[in-house]
Amino acid sequence: MVVLTSSTREQDHGTRRGAGSFFHAAAFHPIVRHFAIFAVLIGAWEIGARTGTIDPLVLPAPSAIAEAMWRLFVTQRNIWWHLLVTIGEVLAGFTAGSILGIGLAIVVGLNPMVRKLLKPYVIVLEATPRIAIGPLIIAALGFGWSSKITIVMLVCFFAPFINTLSGMLSVNEGAYELFRSLRANKWQIFTKLMLLDAMPVIMAGLRLAMASALSGALVAEFISASEGMGVLLKRYTASLNMASAFGCLLTLTALGFAIYRTMEAVGNRIVFWRHAPQMDAVSRRRQAQWQRNWGA
Amino acid sequence: MTALPRKVEAGTATDVADIVIAGGGVGKTFGGGAVVALEDASFNIPKGSFVSLVGPSGCGKSTLLRLIAGLIERSSGSLTVHGREVSGPHADVGMMFQRATLLDWRTAVENVLLPTEIHRKPTAEDRSRAVELLKMVGLKDFVFSFPSQLSGGMQQRVALARLLQTGADILLLDEPFGALDEFTRERLNLELMRIVAEVGATTLFVTHNIGEAIFLADKVMVMTPRPGRLARMVDVPFARPRRPELQQTPEFNALVAEVRDILGTH
Repeated sequence: MVVLTSSTREQDHGTRRGAGSFFHAAAFHPIVRHFAIFAVLIGAWEIGARTGTIDPLVLPAPSAIAEAMWRLFVTQRNIWWHLLVTIGEVLAGFTAGSILGIGLAIVVGLNPMVRKLLKPYVIVLEATPRIAIGPLIIAALGFGWSSKITIVMLVCFFAPFINTLSGMLSVNEGAYELFRSLRANKWQIFTKLMLLDAMPVIMAGLRLAMASALSGALVAEFISASEGMGVLLKRYTASLNMASAFGCLLTLTALGFAIYRTMEAVGNRIVFWRHAPQMDAVSRRRQAQWQRNWGA
Repeated sequence: MTALPRKVEAGTATDVADIVIAGGGVGKTFGGGAVVALEDASFNIPKGSFVSLVGPSGCGKSTLLRLIAGLIERSSGSLTVHGREVSGPHADVGMMFQRATLLDWRTAVENVLLPTEIHRKPTAEDRSRAVELLKMVGLKDFVFSFPSQLSGGMQQRVALARLLQTGADILLLDEPFGALDEFTRERLNLELMRIVAEVGATTLFVTHNIGEAIFLADKVMVMTPRPGRLARMVDVPFARPRRPELQQTPEFNALVAEVRDILGTH
């Protein structure tokens, strides 16, 4: 018994060391490790669904979801139009909302009088949950595109507005004094200092707005619409076609991720002076430009 | 920029025409007279001289600088630059602060060009001058670097080049190297002396280091706080160019003691 135990232990030890070195080797390839864990999870889920441990109405099998997505994107191709509608609403609403937010913040930021007059309205509007305005807007503008875009616009308005305003009001004091001592006019102080100084904060506001734009569009579609991803999702869950509903959900996740990465990349390009790699590239580009135009 | 002759014997009776900055009982109060930042300061600053303003915090040295720059309005007295009363920011002075206040999104040379850009589209000549100035302050290899790629000392060098790019013949320096380490500060002080001598500018230099104030200057304005007052104008007799060893001589230390005495007895 004692001998057996000890030999079992030895074996145990041996396999454990083997497993240890396997994970150690895999650690050199984080992608491989993540993929392995992912495969195990999906496998367990698939088995659970097939054996009936997991109710497919709650969580359909991964294979069923994959099949549904194949149908949605390739054979029936009915998701594309709805996806396009939602992306259109997001982009149009985001553009309109952020232009309005940034523009109004600039007017307010440059004008202490307007700031004082508008402040109470801004606070009241900010305290109102934007989504709650949704049904009212649909009642006013109808079920079409304009009401969806207006809702997304409202959702996208605040972050850029607040951030632009606070960025402009907290302009670098020393730099402001420098511009004054150089006798710069208001327009120069605005374009050459305030706007650029506020740019990192403005970009952060735009990232926030973009993140909420997708939710805004979906909620607007949930409330009342005839097309868009929100409509499709609602239609599939209503008919208990859970695999297709999950396919829609995964598509929205991918869309959200793509939006996030795009905004990040755009932000790094615009606010290049906050990111070392971009800064090096811009530095080299400006040097080349200078040498081309003005000599060494 | 025309090279102006430096007054070697600063403090001797000067021609009225040679006075570039003149204060007659200049005063500045804040908060409707509640806080007296500067009281009754009278002084004459000759053309091409290097004047240090020394004193503890709250003695009104930065206030005086900003009054001369026209960034704030005086409450009493008269203040003229080149014979004209100061009534707002004007082209005769350029300022430099403790913080470099460079624009992060501009390369070094684009920062130096800012003063020109405010007034006109920079010409090829303006551009080559900006590069020349960066070479003068020792940044030949950093013309296209962004401020965050430069050390604190190098950022101040860019700020100095930008100040010289204004073409102003009066330089107002408010503790320009105060935030830097001792070694960098000493080296930059030496270079500052060389550079202002080269361009022949009249220089006002604010510091609270007595030794630094004397070492750099032809005249030291000794200021005392609460209320801010110009206690005395001390002449510095040492010949130029000056070497760092000057600071170990008994004559130098005697002058330091004299200034310390003025600050202590007020």
